[in-house]
Amino acid sequence: MNALLQVRGLDKYFGGLHAVRDVSFDLQSGAITGVLGPNGAGKTTMFNLLTGFIRADSGTVLFDGHSLAGLVPHQIVNRGLARTFQLARPFAGMTVVENVEVACLAPRVRRSGKPRERAHALLNQVGLGDQAELEVDVLPYGDLRRLEIARALATRPKLLLLDEPFAGLGAGEVGPLADLIRTLHKSEGLAILLIEHKLREFMQLVKEVIAMNFGEIVAVGTPAEIVRHPRVIEAYLGTAQIGGP
Amino acid sequence: MTILKVDWIGALFAVSLLAAIPLVFGSSYIVGVMTVALCYGMWAASWDFMSGLTGRENFGHSLFIGAGAYTAGFLNVNFGANPWWSLLAAPFVAVLFSLLMGFPTLRLRGPYFALAMLSASAVMQNLTIIFSTYTGGQDGLNGLFPILDSTLAYYYLTLTFLVVSAFLLKFIANSPWGLILRAIRGDEATCQAAGINVTFYKIVSLMISAAVAGLGGALYAHYQLQVGPDLFAVILSINIIIMVYVGGMGSIYGPIGGALLLNVLTETLRGLSEYRLWVYTVLLVIILFFLPQGAIAPLWRRIRSVFA
Amino acid sequence: MLQILIYGAVISSIYALLAVGFTLIFGVARILNLAHGAFYALGAYGVYTLTANLHIPLWLAAIISVLFVAALGVLIERVLVRPLRRSMLAVLLITLAVALMIEQVLLLIFGSEARNVPSLVDVTYHLPGVDISGQRLLALAGGIIVLVGLWFFLQFTRLGTAILAVSQDAEAAQYMGIPSDRMYSIVMGVSAAMAALAGVLVAPFQTVIPSMGLLPLVKAFAIVVVGGLGSIAGSVVGALLLGFSETIIAFKISIEWSQIVSVAAVLIALVLRPAGLFGKRAAF
Repeated sequence: MNALLQVRGLDKYFGGLHAVRDVSFDLQSGAITGVLGPNGAGKTTMFNLLTGFIRADSGTVLFDGHSLAGLVPHQIVNRGLARTFQLARPFAGMTVVENVEVACLAPRVRRSGKPRERAHALLNQVGLGDQAELEVDVLPYGDLRRLEIARALATRPKLLLLDEPFAGLGAGEVGPLADLIRTLHKSEGLAILLIEHKLREFMQLVKEVIAMNFGEIVAVGTPAEIVRHPRVIEAYLGTAQIGGP
Repeated sequence: MTILKVDWIGALFAVSLLAAIPLVFGSSYIVGVMTVALCYGMWAASWDFMSGLTGRENFGHSLFIGAGAYTAGFLNVNFGANPWWSLLAAPFVAVLFSLLMGFPTLRLRGPYFALAMLSASAVMQNLTIIFSTYTGGQDGLNGLFPILDSTLAYYYLTLTFLVVSAFLLKFIANSPWGLILRAIRGDEATCQAAGINVTFYKIVSLMISAAVAGLGGALYAHYQLQVGPDLFAVILSINIIIMVYVGGMGSIYGPIGGALLLNVLTETLRGLSEYRLWVYTVLLVIILFFLPQGAIAPLWRRIRSVFA
Repeated sequence: MLQILIYGAVISSIYALLAVGFTLIFGVARILNLAHGAFYALGAYGVYTLTANLHIPLWLAAIISVLFVAALGVLIERVLVRPLRRSMLAVLLITLAVALMIEQVLLLIFGSEARNVPSLVDVTYHLPGVDISGQRLLALAGGIIVLVGLWFFLQFTRLGTAILAVSQDAEAAQYMGIPSDRMYSIVMGVSAAMAALAGVLVAPFQTVIPSMGLLPLVKAFAIVVVGGLGSIAGSVVGALLLGFSETIIAFKISIEWSQIVSVAAVLIALVLRPAGLFGKRAAF
């Protein structure tokens, strides 16, 4: 069976900077894979390329058998590829439930139930049911993350891209969010690709890791294999010896 | 009572009030002033529908007003058509302008969309002056026929169009469409990520805004019985924005109130001709500093909260 | 030909003064100052009042006028603009209110008839094909000197560098210890001074009426959009482009067509290249 997401030779330059270099990988449906790499490795750029927010210089992306070339973000979302943002920017001036309701109005899901009701159900799923009628501006950071996920889920994606979902969360908030992601992965049967830095939660969550550095993939493997991979260690810690020059 | 019920009662009350004005104040001068005010009401409401909801401020609303008014002028003066055709054609022409300008400019962020629309209206103003053989240049087109013979009947005609447009705009604003427009105001990228075709909604909303503004322009033209390049002027767009500000952005009915209020105010101060602009600017400053949410919509919300 | 060259240069110089001042306050403080044209008018009227009523020598009147408008600009920024900074629309409307008020005050005090301001340089030069007044040449020279001076100031002085820093990233500049708020006031003063200077230079040969600032505002704004909001080089290039195209069109076709150049240029620029020729911040 063909992979849900097939990326071949993805390439992006920003002026002289080769931000994403010849990136190729497969993602099966139902998989939960992580993207690891130091800052500037090209992870978010790759996400932006996959979701249509930036146009690639070359390469192909096949999602569910169809090319995503030339599509704009909302079209890609309606094909079943949803994403969250590293810096959650909710719809200010609206309530929490309205924030999700908007996504329920996307063409892909507009007819699958009353938007307002679906929105409430989604909020319950991510644990924000009680905050539905609050103004989104009063939501604490951790809850905004959940809201992002609810909004992304609203479009019934087959693949969910999570961009650093644990960033900025306190120690007590990371565990519950990881549990939520794990639960959703099981219950919705969707594929998840997530970028993260927080190693421990990350490694316990994903089944496979794609390690990136300087825009290219340096290693692919299980979490256990990746932490021991020399190129990954080099990416994070450098090659200099401790106490060396 | 629900908020919706109180809103309906308030709306009916306001409409009745407006309908009663000619009966209370018999003078045709007042009816005339109010007819103009109603046109401004349509312009303000249509601006609010697009820019008040999406937050993409349009500084060239007069483009649609002039388009509608000159359509009426051309059809009536140059082609001698029945004046009723103006009301049908004006919105169409205005929508055409909105499509022409909307496509290239709505992707621009920040002040650039506003500035592009402003320049578009200024360009049109200059073009109408340059091509004076067709447009009458600075003097414009004169001698339009009135649609109805009595100014009183025309007042009610204009009122009807205002009320219908306002209800339509408010209905859309309260619908999922309006929700999406408010989300666009919140964050366009997030909107895209939610699967919404932001450009489509912006353009269609601009078209709706243009249609109502153009219709108002034609109604205005057939009241004044003349059209001139001033209908494309930047100052007209700015006056309308001020009216919307005074009324309360995003409410649709607030701007209508703002338009009526400011028109009545400028008329009453006509006697103090020199100081009129002073009062206007002082009012503007007061609103900006002390009533950033406007005056009319917040006032109505206060009143409403007593009953709802 | 020489006529077009010289007239074009003079107009470009004045436009450049106005445009650079406009772009400076936008680039640094994100203020679309609709009162910019009013400052220009105040410069002209200031010189008029000081010379006609108080009989102060022209060169001194010019300096006083410019300084007065600069101070006024700073005052307006502190008192009226600063509290409204969160909303660009509010700032725009308040500067509009200021512009309207200033025009009304001028109308009340001076009436609507044009005022005469004597020339500083009362000589007319006769060149092959064109007679050019010394005052116009002075305007050209004045503009160039001030712009070059501004460039040196921004590039080579501490204050200038601070201003550039704030224009790139106000928050970062704040962390570096640069008081952004004070910078905004200073830049507003400089911007107002440049507008006033333009008014002072043209007063002898332009119509001095209360509404004289409107068209220059439109032109300055058009130039700034074409050149790139926030780019000084862009404003200079834009001023040259606009000044010369207007002059050429006015001479070859008609005055009416020359007036459409500015607004048409804005429209075309925004549609084709919204960031302008040299714009730093993209418009998308």
